Amino acid sequence: MASRVVVKGKGKGGKERRLAEERPSSTAKCVKEWSTWTLKKAKVAVHYGFIPLIIIIGMNSDPKPQLYQLLSPV
Amino acid sequence: MAGIVPPTMGQKGQETTSSKVEEKVDYLNLPCPIPYEEIHREALMSLKPELFEGMRFDFTKGLNPKFALSHSVFMGPTEIPSQSSETIKIPTAHYEFGANYIDPKLMLVGRILTDGRLNARVKCDLTDNLTLKANAQLTNEPHMSHGMATFDYKGNDYRAQFQMGNGALFGASYIQSVTPHLSFGGEVFWAGQHRKSGVGYAARYNTDKMVATGQVASTGMVALSYVQKVSEKVSLASDLMYNYLSREVTSSVGYDYILRQCRLRGKIDSNGCTSAFLEERLNMGLNFILSAEIDHRRKDYKFGFGLTVGE
Repeated sequence: MASRVVVKGKGKGGKERRLAEERPSSTAKCVKEWSTWTLKKAKVAVHYGFIPLIIIIGMNSDPKPQLYQLLSPV
Repeated sequence: MAGIVPPTMGQKGQETTSSKVEEKVDYLNLPCPIPYEEIHREALMSLKPELFEGMRFDFTKGLNPKFALSHSVFMGPTEIPSQSSETIKIPTAHYEFGANYIDPKLMLVGRILTDGRLNARVKCDLTDNLTLKANAQLTNEPHMSHGMATFDYKGNDYRAQFQMGNGALFGASYIQSVTPHLSFGGEVFWAGQHRKSGVGYAARYNTDKMVATGQVASTGMVALSYVQKVSEKVSLASDLMYNYLSREVTSSVGYDYILRQCRLRGKIDSNGCTSAFLEERLNMGLNFILSAEIDHRRKDYKFGFGLTVGE
């Protein structure tokens, strides 16, 4: 992780400057990684769940259709 | 399509004279215009039917007035884009399962193919005037999925729309009625991934008998169209598409016959391409479809037939 970079031997000034530069970019990077992760999970959820969602909403609407009507061609 | 209420007429003598006098336009009470993306709607319906090649069979089963399942089989060659002038076709066959839920306030349509591609559309009326529409094409291949969400606001005599899509695609459009027959609109879009942006303007003039539209965009496209409704059953349409950056122009003329048992649309193009599309109603809920497209210049001949069962 970027914020855990350990600098050896450069002295105190160098270490503080480097950590100060990395802090704003690490939060932006965290937000970006997190939003990419949620988008990926949302895409998988929509891909597998959209059609079952429509079927559930449709089977619960009035007048309520029977379960066998889902599979029979009549 | 003019939403003017004629004034109440007292006597017959006055009736003939006042019908000859031009109606005074109430500029504060203009009709709501067509949405910006449907501005060429009549010309598109007449000149661009869904032509296909191969065999198509669609079966729609309604379980409910609001809920329906659909099964669709397609077998035929599919064209893949190629750089050379030859058209490359690959034979494909797929089965598509779909579910529709259509409510006055909420519409959900989903279609999934055997190769895992999902086509999803959602339309939701958040309030009387604000509508949210979303559509997505999701695939199993990485980086090939698209999604877009649109917010539409319908005002008294204007419509405004804001769209966002994946890949940092943003767009906004606005269309306003200026007279009962004329409306003007404009749009801007910004595509972050391809670093492109553009502006476009459109105008539409329609009466009961004809519709004329024009659209210009900074991507180089100029599109003009004209549709004349000759009678209840016959419409004639023509359109012109000109790209001023690449100096290409295409013009087409077509007809649209809506008869009692069938709908026949045909068109001929300036690229030497002629096409026809017939939908014949054999019986209640049974439609027979024939599609033909002949491109003389590229020597590409496409013929298709199909059957649609269900509403």
